Amino acid sequence: MRTSKILLAAGLATVSAVTLAACTGGSTPTPVNTDATVNLGLVLAPTDLDIRTTAGAALNQALLDNVYQGLVTLDDSGKIVRDIAKSYTISPDGLTYDFTLNSGVTFSDGHALTADDVVSSLQDATKNKTTYVDASGLADVASVTAPDVGTVEVKLDKPNIETLWALAGRAGIVLEKGATNDLKTTALGTGPYTVAGFQANTSLTLDRNDNYWGTKAQVKEIVFHYYADTATAANAALSGDLQALLPVDPTQKAKFAGAQNLAIVQGDSTDKWTLGFNNTDPTLSKKDVRTAIREAIDPKAIIAAVGGAGLPLGGPIPTGDPGYQDLTSVDAYNAADAKAKFAAAGVTRLTLTIPTPYGTTISDILTSELNAVGVKLTVKQVDFNTWLSQVFIAGNYQLSIVDHVESHDFGTLWTNPKYYFHYDNAQVQSRYHQALASTTEGDEAKYLSQAAAIVSNDAAAEWLYQGVVLNVVSTSLKGLPVNNTNNRLNLANISVLGGQ
Amino acid sequence: MTRFLATRALLLLVGLAVAAILIFFTLRVLPGDVALTIGGTQATPEQIAHIRRSLGLDQPVLVQFGDWVAGLLHGDLGQSLLTGVPVADDIGRALTVTLPLAGLSLVFGLAIGIPLGVVSAVRHRRFSGFAISAAAQAVAAIPIVFIGMLLAVGVGLYLRWLPVQGFPNAGWANPRRAFDSLILPALSIALVEGAVLLRFTRSAALEAMSQDFVRTAAAKGMTRTRALVTHGLPNVILSVVSVLGIQLAALLVGAVLVEVVFQLPGLGKALVDDVGNRDLVKVQGELLVITALILVVGFVVDVVHRLVDPRERQADGDLE
Repeated sequence: MRTSKILLAAGLATVSAVTLAACTGGSTPTPVNTDATVNLGLVLAPTDLDIRTTAGAALNQALLDNVYQGLVTLDDSGKIVRDIAKSYTISPDGLTYDFTLNSGVTFSDGHALTADDVVSSLQDATKNKTTYVDASGLADVASVTAPDVGTVEVKLDKPNIETLWALAGRAGIVLEKGATNDLKTTALGTGPYTVAGFQANTSLTLDRNDNYWGTKAQVKEIVFHYYADTATAANAALSGDLQALLPVDPTQKAKFAGAQNLAIVQGDSTDKWTLGFNNTDPTLSKKDVRTAIREAIDPKAIIAAVGGAGLPLGGPIPTGDPGYQDLTSVDAYNAADAKAKFAAAGVTRLTLTIPTPYGTTISDILTSELNAVGVKLTVKQVDFNTWLSQVFIAGNYQLSIVDHVESHDFGTLWTNPKYYFHYDNAQVQSRYHQALASTTEGDEAKYLSQAAAIVSNDAAAEWLYQGVVLNVVSTSLKGLPVNNTNNRLNLANISVLGGQ
Repeated sequence: MTRFLATRALLLLVGLAVAAILIFFTLRVLPGDVALTIGGTQATPEQIAHIRRSLGLDQPVLVQFGDWVAGLLHGDLGQSLLTGVPVADDIGRALTVTLPLAGLSLVFGLAIGIPLGVVSAVRHRRFSGFAISAAAQAVAAIPIVFIGMLLAVGVGLYLRWLPVQGFPNAGWANPRRAFDSLILPALSIALVEGAVLLRFTRSAALEAMSQDFVRTAAAKGMTRTRALVTHGLPNVILSVVSVLGIQLAALLVGAVLVEVVFQLPGLGKALVDDVGNRDLVKVQGELLVITALILVVGFVVDVVHRLVDPRERQADGDLE
């Protein structure tokens, strides 16, 4: 009896496989519409196009990989891969990087790229490392030279394993030597698209670069539409005005249940929703107080409140970045222990103030949870620029909520005592420098994870959660990246199914 | 009449000058600046200082004010601190959305407010008159944003009759889509503004109906409605014209909110974005243009009022 069942199952499986193979072999692939215009909805709008001096993920999303390219770039999993460089080698001492360039690379104006363009761009970034966005990643670059027309050599003063990662970002983009275009309103790169139109805060249009040196884009035009209002953005996607909304606000997610031809795609991000402590505030400089606040907060409740769009984090390094380790057990939620710690620290009737540029979802929970352990939280709603002025620059605050979206930002946030957390720990700074000086990824990760553990055990902040990316994508749009799309959006491989 | 026009024009210019001073110095009270917007959360103090220097924000406030005023006197509103694009160009582009939106809202508002106002006055002792009046009271109390969201979801998303948001990138080169994009936003403003106009029209019509000349016309055999329409309506229109001048300011405020909800790249949305980014040169230009629009409309209303109301001309001796 049992044998016959197995035979029957095997027979069915064979028939299914043959049928499937026949169907697959016989069907013709759905045609791609190479004349398509793709409308994308985004939340963060670029204020101008100056890739050198204007910060923000909005410019990364629009211009990196799509218009500007560098020697190397990042793939969808965050791994460094070749781009303009055909190959590269790093000397065993970590001091010399040799890049061999792809042949036939051209800028969108037809100018052929040479090693001179690369040298000029990297020298410019190195010279302006204190004023260009992310150029501080090239801090240890001593020289950039072109041994021949197809090769570039970057030499460092001392090993810095993050240099290659910096080259995969803004610091490494290659601009045309001698080009005089206005970077604030135009962009001239070697990427698969060119900027065709820009209305600040409203829209940005990219056209296919028909002179692209690599595989040409499969869509004719991409229009980025920027939405300040999440409900309007969701309505635009539901009405069919957009082929993708990146990301959809979790509170709007329910609207898409049952929506035809639209799917919600979840991806990873390096967003760190951080409850920052001013570590020099008289009350918050006490470790017991910081620890008690961490223990009073239940990250799971916050994640539930934001529609499940997050993962518990527990430390300063997110999954996907070197040095990540699970630190969620450090100062885990324990309201009773939090109360005891406040009492032991002699802190009673504590009142704390928190300015926040976000909605009330998270601050309401924080107010309620801190109230449960005897802390009164006063929430002050401010706009982002006010937050930058009062918290980020003046350091005039006690608690603060901000989503730190950048990847590989441990050094910026936790090793600089002047940064707005005012966290100063020599051990952490030392481990971080050891990580930078590493010549293997394993060593880098080891030192970073040690540094991260110290920061978390010091209760230097409370990491509320690591965000996940929730995108709404039309089923006819293919090739859209899945991960970290809130920070970078390589659209080189997107296509739209459907007739011409 | 010439003296009247000269006085009003002078008042308009003085109003604009005072507005320019208030706008410039009030905006300087805002915390933060555009350098922070450009630098973001990874910027070092050196980066922020460099950006401030490059934009001239390290200059004394009075020097910045002098530069701005000198530009204004030459008809130059300056350049955006973020994009470097002339502010006048950006405002001109935004007005191609905001002015048609305001115009359409006005047409819809008048089309709703005046006929229903007259009807509710004529039938003020009946249930229908009461119902119209009560509905107007209720609608006038609803925030424009809420009405906009209801219309977007109801008419745009479910019925799919009209776009729920956006304006074509090609602007009025795509006239059908551009016009369609403005209908729901204009209706959102018009419903609230129309309700306010309805109430003014109703009051004016009720007053007109109690005037001797209307009652005399009715006594001579006209119906009350016909007497009101034939003899009382010019007086009603006069009141509505006066109110319109004031309502235009409300209309522009409505446009600010509605442009954000419907994602229209008009002057209102630009103002909200630019305040957030602290692009103060643009904000100054935008506020000055909005102020000028309101003052000019007030001026026009005054002139029209004078032209259609013989009592005012007679009072100044213009009418022999």
